[in-house]
Amino acid sequence: MLATVGIWIAALLTLAIYSFLYKDNPVYKVAENIFVGVSAGYWAVVLWFNYAWPNLFEPLIVRGNFIYLIPVLIGLMMFAPLIPKVSWLIRIPLTFTMGVAMSLVVLQRIQGEIFPQLQATFLPLSGVSAMQLVTNILIIFGVISTLIYFYFSKAHKGVLGVFAKLGIWFMMIAFGASFGYTVMARISLLIGRVYFLLHNWLNII
Amino acid sequence: MNVIDRVAKMDRRIIFLLVALAVIIPLIAPLGLPVDITKPVRDVFDAVDTLPEGSIVVVSCDYDPGSEAELSPATAAFVEHCFRKNLRVYMMGLWPAGPDLGNLALEEIAVRYDKEYGIDYINVGYRPGGPVMLVSLGRDVGDIVRADHAGLPIDSFALGRAVKTARDMDFVMTLSAGDPGVLHWIIYFHARYGTPIGTATTAIMAPQQYPYLSSGQLVGLLGGLKGAAEYETLIDMKARAVAGMDSQSIVHLLLVVFIVIGNIVLLYEKRKK
Repeated sequence: MLATVGIWIAALLTLAIYSFLYKDNPVYKVAENIFVGVSAGYWAVVLWFNYAWPNLFEPLIVRGNFIYLIPVLIGLMMFAPLIPKVSWLIRIPLTFTMGVAMSLVVLQRIQGEIFPQLQATFLPLSGVSAMQLVTNILIIFGVISTLIYFYFSKAHKGVLGVFAKLGIWFMMIAFGASFGYTVMARISLLIGRVYFLLHNWLNII
Repeated sequence: MNVIDRVAKMDRRIIFLLVALAVIIPLIAPLGLPVDITKPVRDVFDAVDTLPEGSIVVVSCDYDPGSEAELSPATAAFVEHCFRKNLRVYMMGLWPAGPDLGNLALEEIAVRYDKEYGIDYINVGYRPGGPVMLVSLGRDVGDIVRADHAGLPIDSFALGRAVKTARDMDFVMTLSAGDPGVLHWIIYFHARYGTPIGTATTAIMAPQQYPYLSSGQLVGLLGGLKGAAEYETLIDMKARAVAGMDSQSIVHLLLVVFIVIGNIVLLYEKRKK
């Protein structure tokens, strides 16, 4: 029974949102506002029960672990700009956050992204099939020419200009592929909604 | 007013209607267009298919209802394959709603294969913290996971006790809709612990994953609903993704026609000026 009610609510809200395609109307506005309200409430609950309570308030209040007052203090310093006299205090949490993020991100990005990606461009040009050779040449030239396009310390003229132009072509093809996939994604979402309406709600497929 | 002028001034709602019909009609009356299998999808299939019985596969549902249409079919097909191969499924998620969405498929398929919760599969729910959490998860799962998604102590389940570090995870499948997601699994988990990673992403994210496929950091990729349809075809379970492929193909054809017509109109108007 509860599932049926849920399906009906979801179906009617879906139709309400799609009614905007005809023209803006009060039914659409109602659905839009319900979505905004539910989202805000949902995220408040998620943040409280998954972040604030288990990581701060539970150890502090229930377990009496007062070391957690340090993050409370650092967190409160984020609001320092509200009081001009002590606004400089915000530098402490910002420095802390930046320090932690830098140490984690820089190290892992180098190890997990830059080195493996660089390594992936060291491709053999002999001892491979003709098709693989073409693929390898395309990857090598694609990487070099795109990097040259983003080299701004010298005018893009002569050989540099030719490579920069090639870089633009490679990027345009990549953007085209991305756009194609984006269209596909949007249509997939529409198919998902229509499938829900026809299958779960109307039961005709 | 000639035909081209009429097309140029056409009400855009006619286009919406045509797209809607191109989606609805093939769903009601399927055409059965073939679904070709691409290498990245086959690679995920092969990686799972060659895992020994009893291996532990982490299924990370890193998506929310906004991308459910693309990623739930992939979740269902992947879990089906795991249970068919008698692999143990350890479900979790980097997005709050992901594990609950994944659980719908997990529970339904587990019943069909007579799998027991806590032994053959488990859902440890949403794990917040993104990159920091993933680094800790690989080092000591107990630091991150103390209870399952229903709040029961993780040590009360055999599968919960079996997963202590990244070494106990034989394969990670991330069903990813954005950040945090597949990129974090690659950079903060695979790079550090070496666990093989496969992914199913939304179609928008799929092109960004190809560099990681070519570098070997990703085992394979299911891109959007099409990737899920390919996986359904590989495991011979034609379900929701395959059902949507006819509509997808017809709409793509329709869009190509629209683009051609749009360019003809544009050229005509330029010449007229």
